Amino acid sequence: MTVLKTSMRNFFAHKGRMALSAIAVLLSVAFVCGTLVFTDTMNTTFDKLFAATSSDVTVSAKGASDTGETTSDNGKPPVMPASVVTKVRDAQGVKSAEGTVFSTSVTVVDAKKDSLSPSSGAPTIVGSWNGNDARTMKITSGTAPRGSDQVMVDADTVDKHHLKLGDELAVISAVGTHKARISGIADFQVTNPGAAIFYLDTKTAQQTLVGETGVYTNVNVTAASGTTDAQLKKNVIASTGGAYKVQTAKETADANQKDVESFMNVMKYAMLGFAGIAFLVGIFLIINTFSMLVAQRTREIGLMRAIGSSRKQVNRSVLVEALLLGFFGSVLGVGAGIGLAVGLMKLMSSMGMHLSTADLTVAWTTPVVGLLLGVVVTVLAAYLPARRAGKVSPMAALRDAGAPADAKAGRIRALIGLVLTGAGGYCLYLAAGVSKAADGSLWLGLGVVLSLIGFVVIGPLLAAGVVRVLGAVLLRMFGPVGRMAERNALRNPRRTGATGAALMIGLALVACLSVVGSSMVASATDQLDKTVGTDFIIQSDSGQMITPQAVKAVKSTPGLSRVTEYRTTKGDWTTPDGKTLKDTDVTAADPTYATDLRVKTVAGNLKDAYLPDSMSVHDKFAKAHDIHLGSKIRIAFKDGSTANLTVRAITSSDGLIDAGSKYISIATLAKYVPADKMPLDQLVFATAKDGQQDSAYKALKSSMHDYPQYKVRDQTDYKQALKDQIGQLLNMIYGLLALAIVVAILGVVNTLALSVVERTREIGLMRAIGLSRRQLRRMIRMESVVIALFGALLGLGLGMGWGATAQKLLALEGLKVLEIPWGTITAVFIGSAFVGLFAALIPAFRAGRMNVLNAIATE
Amino acid sequence: MTSAVTIPRHGGTGGRTAVAARARQVVKAYGSGETRVVALDHVDVDIARGQFTAIMGPSGSGKSTLMHCLAGLDTVTSGQIYLDDTEITGLKDKKLTQLRRDRIGFIFQAFNLLPTLNAIENITLPMDIAGRKPDKQWLARVVDTVGLSDRLKHRPTQLSGGQQQRVAVARALAARPEIIFGDEPTGNLDSRAGAEVLGFLRRSVDELGQTIVMVTHDPVAASYADRVLYLADGRIVDEMYKPTADAVLDRMKDFDARGRTS
Repeated sequence: MTVLKTSMRNFFAHKGRMALSAIAVLLSVAFVCGTLVFTDTMNTTFDKLFAATSSDVTVSAKGASDTGETTSDNGKPPVMPASVVTKVRDAQGVKSAEGTVFSTSVTVVDAKKDSLSPSSGAPTIVGSWNGNDARTMKITSGTAPRGSDQVMVDADTVDKHHLKLGDELAVISAVGTHKARISGIADFQVTNPGAAIFYLDTKTAQQTLVGETGVYTNVNVTAASGTTDAQLKKNVIASTGGAYKVQTAKETADANQKDVESFMNVMKYAMLGFAGIAFLVGIFLIINTFSMLVAQRTREIGLMRAIGSSRKQVNRSVLVEALLLGFFGSVLGVGAGIGLAVGLMKLMSSMGMHLSTADLTVAWTTPVVGLLLGVVVTVLAAYLPARRAGKVSPMAALRDAGAPADAKAGRIRALIGLVLTGAGGYCLYLAAGVSKAADGSLWLGLGVVLSLIGFVVIGPLLAAGVVRVLGAVLLRMFGPVGRMAERNALRNPRRTGATGAALMIGLALVACLSVVGSSMVASATDQLDKTVGTDFIIQSDSGQMITPQAVKAVKSTPGLSRVTEYRTTKGDWTTPDGKTLKDTDVTAADPTYATDLRVKTVAGNLKDAYLPDSMSVHDKFAKAHDIHLGSKIRIAFKDGSTANLTVRAITSSDGLIDAGSKYISIATLAKYVPADKMPLDQLVFATAKDGQQDSAYKALKSSMHDYPQYKVRDQTDYKQALKDQIGQLLNMIYGLLALAIVVAILGVVNTLALSVVERTREIGLMRAIGLSRRQLRRMIRMESVVIALFGALLGLGLGMGWGATAQKLLALEGLKVLEIPWGTITAVFIGSAFVGLFAALIPAFRAGRMNVLNAIATE
Repeated sequence: MTSAVTIPRHGGTGGRTAVAARARQVVKAYGSGETRVVALDHVDVDIARGQFTAIMGPSGSGKSTLMHCLAGLDTVTSGQIYLDDTEITGLKDKKLTQLRRDRIGFIFQAFNLLPTLNAIENITLPMDIAGRKPDKQWLARVVDTVGLSDRLKHRPTQLSGGQQQRVAVARALAARPEIIFGDEPTGNLDSRAGAEVLGFLRRSVDELGQTIVMVTHDPVAASYADRVLYLADGRIVDEMYKPTADAVLDRMKDFDARGRTS
């Protein structure tokens, strides 16, 4: 009991010194809980949405997916004849059945041709206004659409784009462009996470989306009372003869939910991963805090031992303090996590993704996980310092305490660290040298982990060397103040090492990713320069197919020497080794594609692959399936008949662009797939006549003006877009890593603050003999900068090593060019110096405010 | 007797005044109202230049407070303190710091040295902080006087307590301050090491012309001084010139007895 009492007293007596550790625990726990609450809330929202929007039983065409996603390669939704509705109505237990048409493969633009699609990645849905949707939507102004010139829009989209009744919109589908005026506005009765929805009347929807009347994409069936959904499903299948996909409300909702969930899980685990990194960094902070508290309390602990406390009791008293710290930090963290989730929801709202706080879901597991994680991590981190406290001899009580003795890094530690780092380095070396990417990633992972741990272990040793070098370069110019800062940073290498290591982890990841990212951009650019022989690429950024009208517009643009269409489809393959490959991709392109993209061949001439009934495969595929020039491959095309194709070229599997594609000509594909099932173009390439690049680019842009869903890019724009895309991804990851870096900065603040307390007498002495406040503050800032730069140097070095190894490994996948982003690296290094300055602000201020007399008088 | 102003303001020491530091009607009080405690009660004192002054008195007499105020480490409630002709009461922290750095030397009872610096670095620290180059000849003489020539590269932890205090003395002397304040400089030393340090202080007064003020409760230490001031209840109650240890001890006993009977 006394142990608990002394622990409690110590904890509360030093709550200021614990504050930063508590914040570190709080932040990590908050991030974990925030992630859990946010994803749970998203799931709840979608659950409710799908439950509300699914009719008792839904009948859809065979080609439709379980989620009702309704795009096929020809850009139109798969449909059923109107007769199916009658058949469904005839089934037993049907109260009502209504045919509907809808498609997500559409773009809707306003009068200024600006897209009304959500920027959040949520779908744009155009469909027929029907009884099922009328249950979840309420018309708030105007009327439901009637006639071909009317369209009803959801209220969220209206708000976002400042639309009003009577505005003209254009619905662009694979069929063509259809103009209509807003006749009504409908509001959701459940939370809509962000889809933009447009309603037409049934006939207009059929014409606009499919191009013919009397067809439906879905039949929404309502059960008569007393009939279960499952029973109804059976009856409907019996009545329609099994030619269609029939799903109960639960099945539809589950399929939708699964779709969302898999995406949410990726997000959830990615965010939890970053929370894990923050925890890891937090551990260093907690270790440092307890080490310093134990060191400062050595005399007190000695007294406890002298009057009869056992080692175990001393040890336990420190752990109990850690437990209290972990507990308080975690409790606050759980609360902050819920706040964080609400904040995220608001942020999402501003980005067009609506989530209601009414749906806020806090599962009972969330606080439990948060608390357990926070407490366990804190206690584990405090274990080593606690053990050290247990080892304090009773004699310590009698010794003149003063400042704790400077700790020296041990020899065993050095050995372990060197062995680990060496092993890590060797793994990285192996990873860089492997010939198969799969083996290499294992070595890379192992190398990263071992070298990281190795660096953490030898950190204190490296601190001595690195700080001296930094001191010689940077601090000497500040005279005696710089020298004292250097000595202070060096006096406890273990502390400096641990503080720097915390910063190292985050920065190593930043450096590694920036190296990989810029290598990606450099490699892709290099490939584009070497292999692409065309000037312009036309594609939709949301993955929509390119309609024949748009292709026609491209082809009629003046100044172009050639236009190449590019489309993909799937088929069941039978290869010479007798294997059948289901649903395997085939790329169909115009023969000019061989000029547009100069793919190297291992055998044969790529141009020949575009001859009738010919094809190409890539090297790896050929080896795997015993394919040679002249081999026959049978492909049963999706939506078409079976072809027997001759392999006339084998392409290299190397390369970043279009690697692994197997080509046939569009003409060959057309022989086997009926025109109305023909997939639409995915990409269109255009090449300008010599010397007319600039005018052709302008002309092309203006002829695509009517098709805002497609982007026209020349090579420069394309490279920029690629760079932006990777840059965006990197920025997102940096943003998430910022959490770990913030915790690391807290660690620097913590170390400095505790050092200042520990050096109270020294500071008093220096002030007494004439060190000015400004000099004192500068000294502390310098120390902070040196610690931060030490961490940055280690982290950036380590990260660049990882990044370079990853590039060597990925060279097998086409990442041929290593590019070190020196700009970013330098910026991070200089930024770290500022981080150091920033971290020292409060400790330096407090040191400056110390009363000289009190400082001297401290016993 | 609350005054120890017995020395002419201008003596024969060149342009400088014969008084290195003086206090006029200095009051130092803590708290207010009923809890008000007066540590210094209208003290007037002159510290003679080139002399070794000891301040004595029982615990709580205000002797340390007086020294702290004279040295510009503590502020006064009212009254003036001058260092030579400079009034230091009312100076801002920045000026005070500069004053301590350039014109005053300190020797504390313990923890005088920075553990990260070696002996010579500690000695030259005040000058380093000020960005001044130490006078090499003078430094050599000071180091020689305190007998540390072969210990200059040692860290404080590698020196004995007596050696550490000698380094502190050397530091105080090295910058040639106008006045050195010692706060029980031998309080933590055994009698032999203490005698050594006091001997150095004495010699620095005799041979180098240094002005020293030392707070002590040890009659033997006080006997090294030229003049002893006695403080009781925040007032100067007596003074003695050319003290001997026995005379100091007798006087102390006397105060104790008076304190008990009054």
